Amino acid sequence: MFEDIPVDVSPMYEGERIRSANMFVELAGPKSLGAELVQVEDNVEDGKLEVIGPELQDMQEGDIHTLGILIEIQGEALEKELEGVIERRTHELCNYIKGFMHLNQRDQIWCRVSKEALEAGFKLEDLAKALSILFKEEYPIIEAIAITIMTEEDKVKEFVEKARAQYEQRDARARELSDEDVDVFYGCVMCQSFAPTHVCVVTPDRTALCGAINWFDCRAAAKMDPDGPIFEIGKGEVLDEVKGEYTTVNEVVAERSQGTFDTVYLHSVFGHPHTSCGCFEAVAFYIPELDGIGIVDRDFRGETPLGIPFSAMAGQCSGGKQVEGFTGLSLEYMRSPKFLQADGGYERIIWLPKEIKESLSEYIPEDLKAKIPTEEDAANIKEMRAFLEEKGHPIMDRLESVSEDVEEMEEDPALEEEPVAYAEMSMEAMPMAPVAFAPELTMPASGGVKIIFKNAKVYAEKVIIKRK
Amino acid sequence: MIIAISGKGGVGKTLVSSLLIKELSKTGKDILAIDADPDSNLPEALGVDVDRTVGDVREELKKDTAQGKIPTGMNKWDILDYKIMASVIETPEFDLLVMGRPEGSGCYCAVNNMLRKIIENLSENYDLIIIDTEAGLEHLSRRTTQNVDVMLVVTDNSKRGMLTAHRIGDLAGELDIKFQDLYLILNRVRPKIEEEVVKKAQETGLEILGIVHEDEEVTEYDLEGKPLVELPDDSNTVKAVSGILSRILRE
Repeated sequence: MFEDIPVDVSPMYEGERIRSANMFVELAGPKSLGAELVQVEDNVEDGKLEVIGPELQDMQEGDIHTLGILIEIQGEALEKELEGVIERRTHELCNYIKGFMHLNQRDQIWCRVSKEALEAGFKLEDLAKALSILFKEEYPIIEAIAITIMTEEDKVKEFVEKARAQYEQRDARARELSDEDVDVFYGCVMCQSFAPTHVCVVTPDRTALCGAINWFDCRAAAKMDPDGPIFEIGKGEVLDEVKGEYTTVNEVVAERSQGTFDTVYLHSVFGHPHTSCGCFEAVAFYIPELDGIGIVDRDFRGETPLGIPFSAMAGQCSGGKQVEGFTGLSLEYMRSPKFLQADGGYERIIWLPKEIKESLSEYIPEDLKAKIPTEEDAANIKEMRAFLEEKGHPIMDRLESVSEDVEEMEEDPALEEEPVAYAEMSMEAMPMAPVAFAPELTMPASGGVKIIFKNAKVYAEKVIIKRK
Repeated sequence: MIIAISGKGGVGKTLVSSLLIKELSKTGKDILAIDADPDSNLPEALGVDVDRTVGDVREELKKDTAQGKIPTGMNKWDILDYKIMASVIETPEFDLLVMGRPEGSGCYCAVNNMLRKIIENLSENYDLIIIDTEAGLEHLSRRTTQNVDVMLVVTDNSKRGMLTAHRIGDLAGELDIKFQDLYLILNRVRPKIEEEVVKKAQETGLEILGIVHEDEEVTEYDLEGKPLVELPDDSNTVKAVSGILSRILRE
């Protein structure tokens, strides 16, 4: 198939790097300019290969040239939406050619041709020829393919501009990709070394908790490193679309958490929230007094209205635990249209550090922006309540119906016992401040029962600390 | 073949590494030098400048990710791959990858996982890889040197240097890391006390592969900050390292 190409073409050359010491010329890359673009067109002249500008044989050893690769394709079943996916293969297919190095994609490509390939008589035209054969072989839906390689600087400049406009359009479409549009999610267990039961579920609408990897990254990772910590999760059956519960996600989480959890809701902090690793960018926490959710990020140094900082909050829900009322999340997830959708999304958010509120300003619904307090508006629950009431936050309507339940949730085990007190603190001045707070608190009890308080806040009139 | 050079800080790991690279580059093979010591000066010893380290690349990617600067349709593997390739310092004799500064705060699991794979792929393109490891034992417990074929442990006359060498040998055994060869190199040995030093070195349980004597010329180069690879071929130190290399290659 590749008889008239003077160098070997095979997947075994994937990952080939050409040291500058062994290089004849460099094309595109950090010191030059270049791009590659796949376009679905009509009237593509099948098999047309063209090189515009100097061929390799016209170049000098050590030269750096610009490079444009335009791949025009046509086919009954080809749609514009497939351009990105097909273009993505250019990197891999170029690397099949021995003596030709290709890195990255789009307008960030970097290529090199080895001295050895040049000596064998390799030309850019051969690159075009090999690509046309490989693409058709990989994608039988391509009926006609024409490839243009550009090395003439002005042509390349013009081409890069055109390509960039196409990438932008594609990115806009990709941002709209939602959980419903795909049939595979990804799981990641990279953090299991320190959070042994944590399984991150990554979907188009939910990036990993660390914020480092999104659905596209996972797709690439699962392919590049099939035995690695990132793996496919078939989407399976939807059990609850709003909460984001899927049969296969439940199964995979059960399997990968060694049976610790068998149910996960992707878009809620209640019931069975996503487990939390330890490296999440932010934590969403339920505030029972106001029946709302606060969010605090890693970079926020102060205390949350619950009286504890991010670090203490993170400590309570990290390590691969599933703690109702808490979930670690990425800041990117707060830009998702499904952001805690089962809980009411931004309508349920009643506290945010100022910095993240500002950075997310485009994503917070316009009518809510002024109604969500930050550390500058409220430092404790009392101040929050006043702020929310004043601004008419939608949580207040919700609160009226449940306020009585909240009263019942408050526990009051006074610690006063012995007459000799070491220290005494009057708590009367701060009626709203809990002296202790725990997402899960087990009280010792007799008679074969165990009492567990969830999201317990301990209020006391007096706290006495004494020496034993 | 992967050769790693380890030992306590300041015993002369970089001296041995740079001269090994100097000698190996005469073979015409493709050589990758990896400077894995955040506090090292291998680039200076090799006489090259560093623009960007792997650590810098890691921070850049984290920053770009947090600020939402990475286009939706591009994946971070390819971006990282490109950036790592761009941070390789290329010379006609060898290529150099500098690991650079340690991690900042936050989560580095994802990026480190990608980096490991990318550097692994990159390394496969070379005939010989020389790793100047960080001082101490961390590289063993973090298993960054587990695929190493030859581990050279460097020590000077000092008891502390010997102790670290001893521990490296013990820890490799405990962690079940099986280097094909594990050798000791004695550096900066004063000829007058050589016999005594060798005796002490034997207590580490490691096989002594070579002895580099105290060398006025090296001290001068160090003092003036001159690249150690510029030491003349007839320098005693260069000859000693050359001998060590031929013994490694013969094995």
